[in-house]
Amino acid sequence: MIDQVKQKINDLLSNGSVKGVVALVHTNGNVAPCLYQKGDDLDKLCLGDTDSAGDARYPLNKVLVTLSRQYPDEVFGVLVRGCDERGLYGLYRLNQLDPERVVPIGIACPQSLALQCECKKPWPDDMMAGETSEGIDQKGVANAESNSHSERFSYWKGQFLKCVKCYGCRDICPMCFCRECSLECEDLVSKGDLPVEIPVFHLVRAMHMADRCIDCGLCDEACPADIPLRLLYKKTAQIMNTEFGFTSGIKKYEKSPLSLMGPAPEK
Amino acid sequence: MIVLSQMLDFCGIEKERLRARWVSSAEAPEFVEEINDFVDILKKLGPSPLGKEQVEAVA
Ligand code: SF4
Ligand code: SF4
Repeated sequence: MIDQVKQKINDLLSNGSVKGVVALVHTNGNVAPCLYQKGDDLDKLCLGDTDSAGDARYPLNKVLVTLSRQYPDEVFGVLVRGCDERGLYGLYRLNQLDPERVVPIGIACPQSLALQCECKKPWPDDMMAGETSEGIDQKGVANAESNSHSERFSYWKGQFLKCVKCYGCRDICPMCFCRECSLECEDLVSKGDLPVEIPVFHLVRAMHMADRCIDCGLCDEACPADIPLRLLYKKTAQIMNTEFGFTSGIKKYEKSPLSLMGPAPEK
Repeated sequence: MIVLSQMLDFCGIEKERLRARWVSSAEAPEFVEEINDFVDILKKLGPSPLGKEQVEAVA
C-alpha cells in the first residue's frame, strides 16, 4: 500500500502538478505531519502505521488550510482517509479550501482501525490504495438515551466538570478554522475560571459543530480529561439529520441548512 | 433552537428552560402573556441545578 502512495506522490511532485504534499513522516520514533516537496526523500513517509493507514492520525486538512491561507495560488496534495475526505467536502462547502487547488490522495483504513474508531465509512470516495473495510454501526447516542433524564444530567455534569479548558478539542479539530473563536469571547466564557460554565462551554462548541463535525474522533483522542465529546457531536449530527436530512461531509458541495435563511429550498 | 433544545434534553437539562419567541414592540399583551407563562414554567421547574452553589459543592 505504501509503495503505491509513494509512487503517486512522486508522480505528482515530479510532473509539477502540485507544489507539495501534506502527509505523515515517521521520524525519531514519532509520527508527525510533514510537507513533502520536489526532491524530498520519501523513505520516511508514513501512513499512520508502517505500511498502512494506522492509528497515528493528524488533522492534515488543518495543516492544509493553514498552508493554503499562506499560498492561496498553489496546488497541494494531501493524504486523506474516509474521515479526512468528509472534512475536505466540508471545507470546500465552507469556502476554506478550493477544490481546484487540492489533490486528495485517498487511502482506506483497515477493519481493526474502523472498529476502534467506530467509523461509519472508513474509506474515501476517491481512493487509490487499500481495501475498503466495513462501516461500523453507531450505537453511542442510542445507548446514552436509554438512560433517564436525571441520569443523563449527572453523567454530563460529571463529564463537563472534568474539563480543564485546554482548548485541545478545538485546536485538533479539522473543522475548526475560525479566526475568532466564540469560546474565547469573554461574554460567553470567562477567562481563567474553572470549572467551566456548564453546559455553556461544551454546548457552544457542540452547536458550532452541528453542521460541521465529520465524526473523525480526534477531539475525543485529544481531550486530556477523557470527556466523550464526540458523543455530544454525534447527537447534534443526528438532530441535523432527522430535522433537516443533512449529514456533514457526505456529499460534495451540499449546502448546510444552517447557512440558509428563509424557507428550505426545493429538493 | 431546534438543535439546542434537543441538545439540552440530551444532557439532561429541562428543555423548557430555553424559549424563544418573536414579539413585535406593538404587541404588549403578547409579551406580557409570554413572560408570565415562562415565569410560571420556571417556578414549577425550580432553581437551575446548575446554579453556582450546586456546581461548587461538587467541584
Ligand atoms: S469528531 Fe471532533 S475533531 Fe473530529 S470533526 Fe468532529 S468535533 Fe472536530
Ligand atoms: S479537550 Fe477536553 S479538557 Fe480540553 S477544553 Fe476540550 S473538553 Fe475541555
